[in-house]
This record gives sequence, C-alpha cells and structure tokens, in this order.
Amino acid sequence: MNLRLYLARRFLMLAPLLLGLSLLTFTISRLVPGDPVGLAAGPQASVEIQEALRKQFGLDQPLPIQYLSYMRGVLQGDWGRSLYTRRDVTEALSVFFPATLELTLAAVLLATALGVPAGVISAMYRNQFPDHVARVISLFFVSFPAFWLAMIMQTVLGRYAGLVPIGRRFPVIMSPPPQVTGLYLVDSLLALDFAAFSIALNHILVPALVLSFGALASITRITRASMIEILERDFVRSARAIGIPERVVIGKYVLRNAFIATLTVISLNFGWLMAGAILIETIFDWPGIGLYAVHASLSLDFQPIMGITIVYGVLFSLVNILTDVAYGILDPRIRYG
Amino acid sequence: MSEALLDIQDLHLEFDTFDGVAKVLAGVNLTLERGDVLGLVGETGCGKSMTALAIPRLISMPPGRITNGQILFNGEDLLQRPTGSMQQFRARHLGMIFQDPTTNLNPLFTIREQLVDAVLYQQANVKSVPGRWRGFLPSARQMRKEAQSRAIELMGLVGIPDAELRINDYPHQFSGGMRQRVLIAMALAGEPDLLIADEPTTALDVTIQAQILRLIRSLVHQLGLTVLLITHNLGVVANTCDKVAVMYSGRVIEQAPVRDLFHQPAHPYTQGLIRAVPSGSTSRGGLQGIPGLIPNLIDPPQGCRFHPRCPQVLEHCASQVPGPGAIGSDHLAFCHLYPEGA
Repeated sequence: MNLRLYLARRFLMLAPLLLGLSLLTFTISRLVPGDPVGLAAGPQASVEIQEALRKQFGLDQPLPIQYLSYMRGVLQGDWGRSLYTRRDVTEALSVFFPATLELTLAAVLLATALGVPAGVISAMYRNQFPDHVARVISLFFVSFPAFWLAMIMQTVLGRYAGLVPIGRRFPVIMSPPPQVTGLYLVDSLLALDFAAFSIALNHILVPALVLSFGALASITRITRASMIEILERDFVRSARAIGIPERVVIGKYVLRNAFIATLTVISLNFGWLMAGAILIETIFDWPGIGLYAVHASLSLDFQPIMGITIVYGVLFSLVNILTDVAYGILDPRIRYG
Repeated sequence: MSEALLDIQDLHLEFDTFDGVAKVLAGVNLTLERGDVLGLVGETGCGKSMTALAIPRLISMPPGRITNGQILFNGEDLLQRPTGSMQQFRARHLGMIFQDPTTNLNPLFTIREQLVDAVLYQQANVKSVPGRWRGFLPSARQMRKEAQSRAIELMGLVGIPDAELRINDYPHQFSGGMRQRVLIAMALAGEPDLLIADEPTTALDVTIQAQILRLIRSLVHQLGLTVLLITHNLGVVANTCDKVAVMYSGRVIEQAPVRDLFHQPAHPYTQGLIRAVPSGSTSRGGLQGIPGLIPNLIDPPQGCRFHPRCPQVLEHCASQVPGPGAIGSDHLAFCHLYPEGA
C-alpha cells in the first residue's frame, strides 16, 4: 500500500474521531452542575438579563439542536464566542495556540537533541562514568517539580545573571515578526529578521528547557535501554567482525534501530508537554493557550473549551499520524495499512 | 611445512559468571596454513565459537578474560595489538560469517547500504572514507557509486542473480540462503586472508546448506582463501574440509587431515564421535552415544577433561594434561595413549 493512500485513509478516520471527541466534550461541558450563564452574567443580573443572554447564545434550545448548530458553525469557521469576553474563539486560538505550540515544539526538540546523544553515550559506556553522569543529571532534573525549577531558573538566570528575559515571548515594546505561522522563531526566519530571531530564541530558551526536563529524562532512558538491546543483536557483531568502524556501527546501524522506540516516547511526550505547558506558561508569563484554557474551564465557558479540545485533538492525532509515517520510513518492514 | 597463517597456541579464556569462573578455553592449539580449509568440530559448549570469536577479539572483556596463550597471525600476536587497531585488522585480513543469516543482516538498511559500507570500510585507506556528515559531498557520492559497482560484482561472485536489481532490496526480501550469500559477499569485500565461518549452514535447510558449502569451496579455489569452518556436523566436514580439528571441553584434542581422521581416529573421544554418526543402516534405537555428560566448565575434571568418560582411561589421565602426540604426518592427538613427541 502506498503512502498517499495510507495518509488519505488516516485523515478520513480523523473525522469520526473528532466527531466523537466533540460530542463527548459537548456533553460533559453541558452536564456538569453549574450554570455558565449565571456565572457570566454576575450575581446582580436580573432574570430578564439572564434569559436574554441565554437566548443570545442559543442556550434556550434543546441540547441536540445546540450541538448541531455548534457543529454547523465549526464547519463554517465560526467556533463561537466566549461568554465572558465575547471574544471569538477562532481569533483567541489563533493568538494563543501558536505560542503554546512553539513552546512545546521547542521543548520536544531540546529534549530530543539532548536526550538521544545522552542515551547513546550512556549505552556505549554502560555502567561506567559517563553513564552515571547522564543518569544522575536526568534523575536530578526530573525529581524536582517543574514549577519550582522554573522559578529557580527564572530567578538565577533571568534576575541575577541577567542572561535571559524573565518572561514573555517577546518584548512588550517591540512588535513581533509578521505572523505567518504564529511561531515567532519560524516567522522571524521567514522575514529574514535575525535580530528578532535571536530575541525570540532568548525568550523561549529557559521555559522550553524547563518544560523539556521530564521528556529529556524519559528519552535518555529509553534511548539507552533500546541501544543496549540492539547492541546485543547479531548484526552488530557481524558488522564489527568484518571491520566496520565503531562510529559507523553505533551512529548508523544501531542508532536507527534504537530510534524506533525513542520515537514512540517522543510522540507520547508531545501530548504530555502540551498539557504540562500550562504551568510553565503561568510562571513565565507566556501568552499561550494555558491561561485561556484554565479560565475557560473554571468558568464553564463552554465554547472556548470545545475549541481548545478540538484543536488539541487534531494536533494529537496529527502527531500520531506523523509518528506512524516515520515508523514506516525508519523500518521498511512496517507496511502502511 | 609452509609458514602458518594462523597459529593459536595454548589459548586460555575464562568468563566471570555468578557461579564462579568458567574456564571456557583451556589451552587451545590450532594451526592453519595458507589455503587450508579446516573444520573445527565438537559438541555444543565445547568452545568452538569462542575460539572463533577470540581470533578477531570480539569477546567482550569483561566478563571474558584471556589468561594465557598467543594468537599468531602471519607471525604477529593479535593479543598484543592495541585494541584500537583491531578494527583495521578485521577490515583487511578477516572475513567472518555466522550461523543465522536472518539476524546477521541489519533489517533497516538495504543490501546496497550494507554491502557498500562493507566495501568502503574494508579498503586499504579506510581513513579517507568520509564520515556520516560529509557523506553528502559529491566526492563521497562518487566514492559510494564506485563501491556499488564492486558490490554488484561481489553479489555476482557469490551467485546472487539479478544483482543490479536485488541490491536495492531489504534483507527481509531475501531468502535465507540468499542472505547468507550476501553475508559472504560482505565478508569477502576486503579480499580477506582468512574467512571464519561459524556454523554457516546450521540455520539453513539441507539443499541450501549444500549450495552454500559448494560456494565456499569454489571461493577457496577462486580467491585462494583460507577457511576456518566451525560446525558440529561431521558430514559437513567430510564434504568441505581438507583438515579437521576436534574440540572437547575447551581444548583441541585431535587435528588431522580429513581422510585420516575418519579412517583412523586416534583419540577415544573422536572414535566415539564418529561411531555416534548414524548411517543408512542404523536401526531404530541403534544410535550410539558416548556415555556421560559434557563437563561443567566451572569445575572441570583435572588432567584430561575427557577422562571420566573415556573407555581407555589410564592412571595419569586424571592428573596430567596430555600434550600433542604425533600419529602420522599432520596428524596430532592430545591423549596419553600417544606419548608426546613420539
């Protein structure tokens, strides 16, 4: 089966998945006790005002009708509005979501870029000094609560050492690079604005690093374990026996085999990091989806909740599809189908 | 007697295990002359494969430990070589194939990738092979392209049809016999002096086994290879080898030309081994074994390790390790029945 057909099938399967997800989220957000309108209108609002608000948001209709009209809106690009701020959900997501995505992607890249070499070195020097160092470092950072570590690094690196900004994505007084993807690092490169790139990089470094620690530890460990397993395989001995240099044996033959397991962990971590980003965003004043999501769910602001859930759902599914495609590229024995 | 290509003298190898020190090799003596096809036979656990892996120094140490002995290759003791130069030695002088062709090829790379690497890294000037990152340079591409025509040539040499097409396939698209041919091609890429084949046909079915053995034989004639063929199958030895060495519990106990060994086995263990081979007339239940069990390597019998099972045991067999006794020309037995230096 070829890749294009496989992708088409996977994307088609996305539709029922998202339908189910939206139905579930919709049901849950409406069935939780509490009256969003009462919360939104405030304690002093009269019954008439509440009724007017209810009518405005279509909440006087039966639930199935509400769901259908919401879904019709979603398909037409109208994802509803916040009960509180009256801000369009699409508009809010287009601002907040890229910030979170950028932070998460940076964290995943950092964790991979640091974790894979650390795992390889650990496996090569199994139970020797470099292995112990890698083990202690990854255990050290994963053992602290992320928010505590975030504050310590913010204080030490940002405040005392003055190496990095204390928070935010970009200086308030400057205008960010013109939005194409919404990822400042990418946008600034697209605009060939390297000054903006270095500013954005400076801002994202510490939050991404703190966010990456959990993933870093698991990527290091799984890479090490997987490398050790592969190093025992016959083809490794065979390659050594005919005189293939060790750097080729490790860096090419073994690593590619071991990376399949690492890839699984990376893609799983991506989902966890998206969720974990909320805490880091709060500490670094990162204008991401985290605060928006927390606020929406605390006040039962259902349309933002729905919007966020769908975006997360789509993203997570995309990561899964990408991962499955990558498996097939890494391992020719895996057939798409 | 011409000069030996490979001369293993009194090789002792131990492994640290949880139960104690396993004395896996306890004085292996083995000589291969250039052009020899020598079969190394013995039962499971007697140290055949360990001897084979010790030559290119592929045994991990620790837990392994060579406590005594020499492995002379063209007169140079390989055990004295710095570890870092062993890769170069293996690339230039040695080819090695193993038992299971399925697990000995890397499943994620095409035959092209693996064979081209074998060709490139076994060249005399290995240092000039570009590393991974410089591999995208045009000069490196040219190098790989040249290596590829050599790879296709090698595939033809080992009898893989349609080499130009099949080189793009992955190992799982090859049959077992074809995979072993690929591995032989990889081992031969650097025109080695010595090919070590560790049970190369055990995982293959009988017809394929015969094909592979015939291939090895024909390569010996074409390329002037010297082969160390490890097997537990005396039939394979009889059909393929010129000489044979029999191992028992970490020692070579007899070395002889094939014909001599089958017609006049000297060592009581060899005699038992040949008697144990079933023939066409062997009746049901008529299989003859050698009474007793293979010795424990952690606490092996003193003296000759075969003495507890030996039908012709002498008094000093339990205390003294027998030295080589000459039976005929090129025929040695390590047994007190044949006094040393006779």
